Amino acid sequence: MSAKAHKHHDPVGRVEDARLTTGAGTYAADWNLPGQLYAHFLRSDRAHAEIVSVDTAAALKSPGVRAVFTGADAVRAGHVKPMHTLNFPGKGGMQTRAPERPALAHGKTRFVGEALAMVVADSLSAAQDAAELVQVEYRDLPPVISPEEALAPDAPRLHDRVPGNLALEAEVGDAAAVDTAFARAAHVTQLKVEVTRVAPNPMEPRAYVASYDARGDSYTLHVCCQGITTLRRHLSAYTGVPEEKLHFEVRDVGGGFGQRTPAYPEHCTLMLAAKTTGKPVKWVSTRSEGIACDTHGRANIINGALALDESGKFLAMRLDWVNDMGSYLSPASMGHIRNTSTCMTGVYRIPALYATYRVALTSTAPVSSYRGAGRPDIAYVVERLVSQAAAEVKMDAAELRRRNLIPPGAFPYKTPTGSTYENADLPGLLEKALRLADWKGYPKRRAQSVKQGRLRGIGIATVIENTGAGQAAKDEVEIEVDATGKVTVYTMSKSQGHGHETTFATIVANALGLPLERVTLRQCAPEKQHRLQGNHTGGSRSTVGAGSVCHLAAHKLIEHGRALAALALAVEPSQVEFARGEFHTRESKRKVRLGDLAKSGPVSVVAEAKFGSTFPNGCHIAEVEVDPDTGAASIASYCAVDDIGTVINHAVVEGQLHGGVAMGAGQIFGEKVIYDRDTGQLVTGSFMDYFMPRAGLLPAIRGAEHPTPSRVSPLGVKGVGESGCTGSLPALGNAVMDALRPLGIEHLDMPLTPAKVWHAIQDAKNKK
Amino acid sequence: MYALNYVKAKSVQEAAEFLAANPEAKLLAGGMTLLPTLKQRLARPTHLVDIAGLPELRRIEAKGGRLVVGAGMKHHEVATSAVVKKAIPALAGLAGEIGDPQVRNQGTIGGSVANNDPAADYPAAVLGLGATVVTTKREIAADDYFQGLFTTALGEGEIVVRVEFPLPKKAAYCKFHHPASGYAVAGVFIAQTAGGVRVAVTGAGPGVFRWSAAEAALAKGLKPAALESAKLDASGLNSDIHADREYRANLVRVMAKRALAKLSGKK
Amino acid sequence: MAKVTIKVNGTNQTRAVEDRTLLVNFLRDELGLTGTHVGCDTSQCGCCTVHVNGRAVKSCTLLAAQANGAEVLTIEGMAKKGKLHPIQQAFSECHGLQCGFCTPGMIMATAGLLKDNANPTEEQIYKGLEGNLCRCTGYINIVKAVKRSAKLLRGKAR
Repeated sequence: MSAKAHKHHDPVGRVEDARLTTGAGTYAADWNLPGQLYAHFLRSDRAHAEIVSVDTAAALKSPGVRAVFTGADAVRAGHVKPMHTLNFPGKGGMQTRAPERPALAHGKTRFVGEALAMVVADSLSAAQDAAELVQVEYRDLPPVISPEEALAPDAPRLHDRVPGNLALEAEVGDAAAVDTAFARAAHVTQLKVEVTRVAPNPMEPRAYVASYDARGDSYTLHVCCQGITTLRRHLSAYTGVPEEKLHFEVRDVGGGFGQRTPAYPEHCTLMLAAKTTGKPVKWVSTRSEGIACDTHGRANIINGALALDESGKFLAMRLDWVNDMGSYLSPASMGHIRNTSTCMTGVYRIPALYATYRVALTSTAPVSSYRGAGRPDIAYVVERLVSQAAAEVKMDAAELRRRNLIPPGAFPYKTPTGSTYENADLPGLLEKALRLADWKGYPKRRAQSVKQGRLRGIGIATVIENTGAGQAAKDEVEIEVDATGKVTVYTMSKSQGHGHETTFATIVANALGLPLERVTLRQCAPEKQHRLQGNHTGGSRSTVGAGSVCHLAAHKLIEHGRALAALALAVEPSQVEFARGEFHTRESKRKVRLGDLAKSGPVSVVAEAKFGSTFPNGCHIAEVEVDPDTGAASIASYCAVDDIGTVINHAVVEGQLHGGVAMGAGQIFGEKVIYDRDTGQLVTGSFMDYFMPRAGLLPAIRGAEHPTPSRVSPLGVKGVGESGCTGSLPALGNAVMDALRPLGIEHLDMPLTPAKVWHAIQDAKNKK
Repeated sequence: MYALNYVKAKSVQEAAEFLAANPEAKLLAGGMTLLPTLKQRLARPTHLVDIAGLPELRRIEAKGGRLVVGAGMKHHEVATSAVVKKAIPALAGLAGEIGDPQVRNQGTIGGSVANNDPAADYPAAVLGLGATVVTTKREIAADDYFQGLFTTALGEGEIVVRVEFPLPKKAAYCKFHHPASGYAVAGVFIAQTAGGVRVAVTGAGPGVFRWSAAEAALAKGLKPAALESAKLDASGLNSDIHADREYRANLVRVMAKRALAKLSGKK
Repeated sequence: MAKVTIKVNGTNQTRAVEDRTLLVNFLRDELGLTGTHVGCDTSQCGCCTVHVNGRAVKSCTLLAAQANGAEVLTIEGMAKKGKLHPIQQAFSECHGLQCGFCTPGMIMATAGLLKDNANPTEEQIYKGLEGNLCRCTGYINIVKAVKRSAKLLRGKAR
């Protein structure tokens, strides 16, 4: 995004837009199947309790009710053990202790919102009416909400098989080297931060329609998801139904942010209902259900320390993590450790690193990936430490960074925790951002704010993150050409708003020299689901992975076509050239169009590849103003310079950054899932209480690109989906702290709500 | 929502009679509070008696030193009414700050005043201006009308027909929005009326209330400094995850100062 | 049961529905107009915004029976003869949508805003969109799209 490119808007818009701006999209709740029944879940209103009995007799007699399912049914069906991905060796060889989770709670309930029973009826209101007649007898047990308290010796135990509520303890790095470095440090900065538990809240609530085909003993699920391959693997593991018996329909998906990746208990119970009743069964979540029981994100407490020498060079960093995973391990829970250790060193040369992780279970909804999945968390703690260190040693925050950046000549750079950063120009990035943000002119702007009775702060964050990779064995893409020359591209990745139909079609159209409208992308097409492999869209990986394979597939098609064209043109393949969708030879005027090759049937190729991580990086600089009378903070300016490698579609990339930065802003200024500490009741259970960013929170972003092409992806692209919040959490957090530090306020945890900031200001005043 | 019967009333009289005959029936005007409540299954009325759009509830006029606003007038209509803007601009301004545009296009002043949500905006104006709530049975002075959390002087089957506002010399309203819901965390309406300065506070307490210490302080002159020392007991104020008592008390003072600045023509 | 007749996108539609039926369910389930979305259950998100008698309202907070006899305009009624409405065009041009779930509501809210104020400032746009949530775009391009819509509607663009 050069400053120029920022003003540019593709006048055509995205391929998806014609459908989505006219109400013609097909989201999961828009599906209806003939004869479908409606499901409604009865959910736990206790955070931790024994389920003494569940009496469904009255509900079964309620008009229109077809069936009622309880935990006993889930256990009978064997839907008890979701997969998890915390497959790291723990400290001292510890294995992850993964609790069982019957798809409907059985024996015990462990968080408010957990599904206890499901009523299936002829109409939704009949199901809702009957659910009120299900009688549940509980025996209350003490809940534990805080992960640190959950790990305390006297905490109530939530699962028999998880002693101490400790699911896993792990470590990375070199403890001895870190100890040695700290011992000789000139300065040590210490900071304990919380990266709060937040609700991803994609705007589309979850919705599924499940149907069962008795002849094939197979299931079809209409879903909202981030890609069917990961969901299918999770769901097969949870239900024991082989993957080849699971089919999916997925069209438009109203946002995902990680939350739409995993298999949920509701998938399993709807399958059970469809099989039992012989009818399709539909369920549409409400928002309140979504906030209560869809996976949450972040939820990490980190105790950090950074050691510096006399010149401000970083010597070592030590981090102790407590990761709150909620009541059960979600199938997509790995990011908390993997991503935070992959990028632990940040953009700096820190010779010695050591981190410990204690993964705690609590009486709360399960935690899983959420836009960044650990990347914003590690960036937040490192960047807060660095800015605080700068303040403590009285050095300019940009200068301290400048002294410690990994120099361009050091790439590919192997980090102390074993990652390899491929490529970056960090000093160039930093200087460009400082210019864009007019870092030097800040004191003047601050004085202006002070004159108007406001506090002002500036915050900087230089960050890097791992993107791409993925758990699938490979990404496969098929390209098919028909006789009319229409090109159809098949992938297993799935946009949830990213615009794959535009970006991937552009990649193929560019490679084939065709206009965009000749190329159509189909994602997770039912007829390809068991033929193509590939990663779901998550972890900022789709253009790096599937997108790159689109490029490879297009070139494979050209090579395949070249051989066919050579036969048609009666020349050697080496004599055939390709341009603008046509094969020709230099000597003759004869041409063979792509469509000509498909006259006797469609021509198709499948390309495959597996890519490792790419490392986009960026420097974000934010300025905030704080109204000391109300404590309300507002964003005065936001600059972002990002290295995301080669850009396919600038508008789409810019949109990803906007959205990511705004999500970070939401978390910094207001978002937090709050449970009552004593009762475990969910206090932020709807949009009445859960803060969501609105128009105006983030007025504008001044952006620029500073690309160094990826060495991992053949297109040179790096991931971008999560960069925005990786940069904005620390940049905005640092900005508010910078505004408050002169008052003597050393640290505040997010969310920096007006009330919290005002109280901090009052406390500081009272101390003086 | 539980099953219920929808009834469209042809007149206020008919609605009142229906309510008298059906004790579990509820009035429906804009429905901006009632319908969300019903959707959560937090109430189970037998009937909804729709009085929205009844001509007798739909008037705005200024006469005899009073502004009369029919109970059926929507927030958007009050906010944009030339008559209201001329008579009591602060009232038009307040109406334009309620909820969001969609709510303003549907919600009514009668519904807001009858419901008396502790975080609603209109009660601050009604009390702050010393207005009169005219019902199917009587006229009730604002000071007698509001009785705390969702409670008013309205009897069973009594319907708000209109609100009559005496024209103030000057008035202003300032509120601090709830970060999530947008409701008032604290809203302060200050009016300089024939009977003296009135200061009404919404959002902060269990119901709208007059801040008498501020009124006394401002009686000596409309000076912001007077508000600094006006006593405000935080112990009775609301406290929740977004704003505790102490913070709310502060907001009341800050919003009052800002309303006063507005009133005095300063920004 | 209530017999309800609503003129939806110019065509009278009569259905017998339960009295408790919300307008949004009438549109989605009875008429199959699934462009109007439901994103919350507390009347906050605005995904269900439609126009009733020319004013933007949340169709999740209105009974179908209350709209009996009214004229309702939904997102499906905005494009005419296959040509996008200028607001739809502006949202696409400005990349003012990503997943598209909030988009119908955003477009209907924008139409409502511009009806009252043909040339809103940024602050007025923020206020005009207070009843609508988006999780993807960060709103920056939505605000741009509203400005561009205003220009297109005033005939000032290109």
